[in-house]
Amino acid sequence: MDVNHYIPSVDDFKNIYLTIKFEMLKHIKRKRILITLILAILIPLIFFIVPPLLNQDYADTANGFAASNLGFVNLLIILSGAIFTGDSISGEFENKTGLLLFSTPQRKSSIFMGKYIASLIATCLIVSLYYLITSMEIVSIYGASGISVEIAQSFLLALLYSNSVVSIVFFFSSIMKRTITSTLVGFFLLLMILPIITAVFTLAEVDPWFIVTHNADLITNVIGTGNGGGVGPGHRFNFTIFKPDLWSGISVMSAYTVILFLTSLVMADRRKME
Amino acid sequence: MLSKTVECPKCKTHITIQGNPRETTIVLCPNCNTKGKFTFQKEKADLETISDHNIIEVKNLTKMFNGFKALDNVSFNVNKGEILGFVGPNGAGKTTTIKLLTNLLTPTTGHAYINNIDVNKNPTKALLLVGSLIEVPGIYDYLTPHEMLTYFGQIHRMNKNEINQKIKEVLKIVKLSEWEHKKIGSFSTGMQRRLAIAKAILHCPAILILDEPVIGLDPRGIKDVRDMLKQFKNKGVTIFLSSHLLNEVKETCDRIIFLDAGKVITQGTIEEILNRIKIDTIEVEFLNQLTEVDIKKIENIPEINSFEKENVFFKIKFDGKPETSNKILTKLTEQGLKVVSFSTKKADLESFYVSIMNDEKGVI
Repeated sequence: MDVNHYIPSVDDFKNIYLTIKFEMLKHIKRKRILITLILAILIPLIFFIVPPLLNQDYADTANGFAASNLGFVNLLIILSGAIFTGDSISGEFENKTGLLLFSTPQRKSSIFMGKYIASLIATCLIVSLYYLITSMEIVSIYGASGISVEIAQSFLLALLYSNSVVSIVFFFSSIMKRTITSTLVGFFLLLMILPIITAVFTLAEVDPWFIVTHNADLITNVIGTGNGGGVGPGHRFNFTIFKPDLWSGISVMSAYTVILFLTSLVMADRRKME
Repeated sequence: MLSKTVECPKCKTHITIQGNPRETTIVLCPNCNTKGKFTFQKEKADLETISDHNIIEVKNLTKMFNGFKALDNVSFNVNKGEILGFVGPNGAGKTTTIKLLTNLLTPTTGHAYINNIDVNKNPTKALLLVGSLIEVPGIYDYLTPHEMLTYFGQIHRMNKNEINQKIKEVLKIVKLSEWEHKKIGSFSTGMQRRLAIAKAILHCPAILILDEPVIGLDPRGIKDVRDMLKQFKNKGVTIFLSSHLLNEVKETCDRIIFLDAGKVITQGTIEEILNRIKIDTIEVEFLNQLTEVDIKKIENIPEINSFEKENVFFKIKFDGKPETSNKILTKLTEQGLKVVSFSTKKADLESFYVSIMNDEKGVI
């Protein structure tokens, strides 16, 4: 493999930038951003509006409120990642738009890098909005002091997990022929298959530290009072729950991001419009 | 490699420089030693500076798909300003060739060059001067023509004003001006085809590679594309045109390559091809229905090899020599047969196509 082939030149950076702009325009025009934006606003708003309506109190602490609110951020990340990334490569082949795109004077790797970054920006934008709304709610309930370092850590971990999710779905998009397959395989892998595998490993008392969705629990775990906290070996349920380690989790998510992104680039570059 | 003649701002000496598109080169005046910089702009340099011969060159191109040989050692070239027709039945390898020329496929062996640049090795440079329309491409149906063409203009490093101006120009050419800001999803197949043509010509390419450009177009659209191709030819654009429509090819092309089963069967100018066609059929119309006796008389003319009849119309096969044709006419009238019209069938590409292609594959 010629590594230089994948190292962008100045001209390639310009093409990557143009592709990012074009992809963002496509996301906007297909109302994908609008749909996910609505979800990113609506979900935290439910946690803010519903308790007073039911005469329920908010959590005692800001971190407690954040942990329950952010319990849905993983789902939003997976949904956004699948929506923005699922068809980014496979769609060009399936819909034959690649006949227009790949015959232009730019390296295919610049096109794919642009597409990846655009998906990443869109997903991170949605996640950021979710955190922004949650933070505004925290400020309105608990005051500005309610915004803790842990919430900031959670936000950074959510962004890192978004990268992993986009890389995973991007990988499927680079190898699969149909957009619906690449989107659904990515979505269900992250939503169901990997959590099931995690559960199987847990039952077998093997630490699933290498599974990315297991490490995504860190997003709420770092807040401290969330729903993903480990309880240690088998006190109540007679089986072990493994709590992901922060640095190991960061490493695993980073590894998924980098390895799958690079593999996707190579796989997509090798695909031909037959 | 592009070349350009620039003028020294001090002594007005003309200096010829060479470089690649988008490359900035230092220019030193040999007369007054003034130094300056020049950046090669693709749009301005292309037509004047591309090589005069073999603007497209295909050398021993072979393409295998899972053991199937789609192209078998194909070689040909296209000269600057020429329109080359690429003709062959379905599955002959026309689109495969075009995809190899536009880097959508990689050759198994052989090379495809555009302006002396190997397309497979350096596609970004090779495709700078190319506008292409391949198969029936998908269109981003949620965008408007303006939005889609803007991106492709930017990829060709056109500035905003240039893009806006060119979009209006090309949409006018393809008769889509009123649709510039409407969603492509609402377009008919023909309109989408015309938009794909607009994309191909947006950046004023020096080379056009077109795969069945008139598919899905109505007769008016076909005529518009034909006129457009002639206009481009007059501007010196080199055109590589794959088509099933032999009359279109005859109307627009300077030269034709016939391809079948992945091999070049024959090639030549339209005139050369037509000269190769053996005219061996005479179409005769008689005044009245012929009797059995009359038909016997025709059968007894030795110069006639065979004939088919339909009412008063006869198709007579002969050896193709003009003197034989003359003898047949003389003998028919001598026999007292009342001939209304007598003409040798005109040479056309369709006859030639059918004669050289395998009948089983000869789907036009």
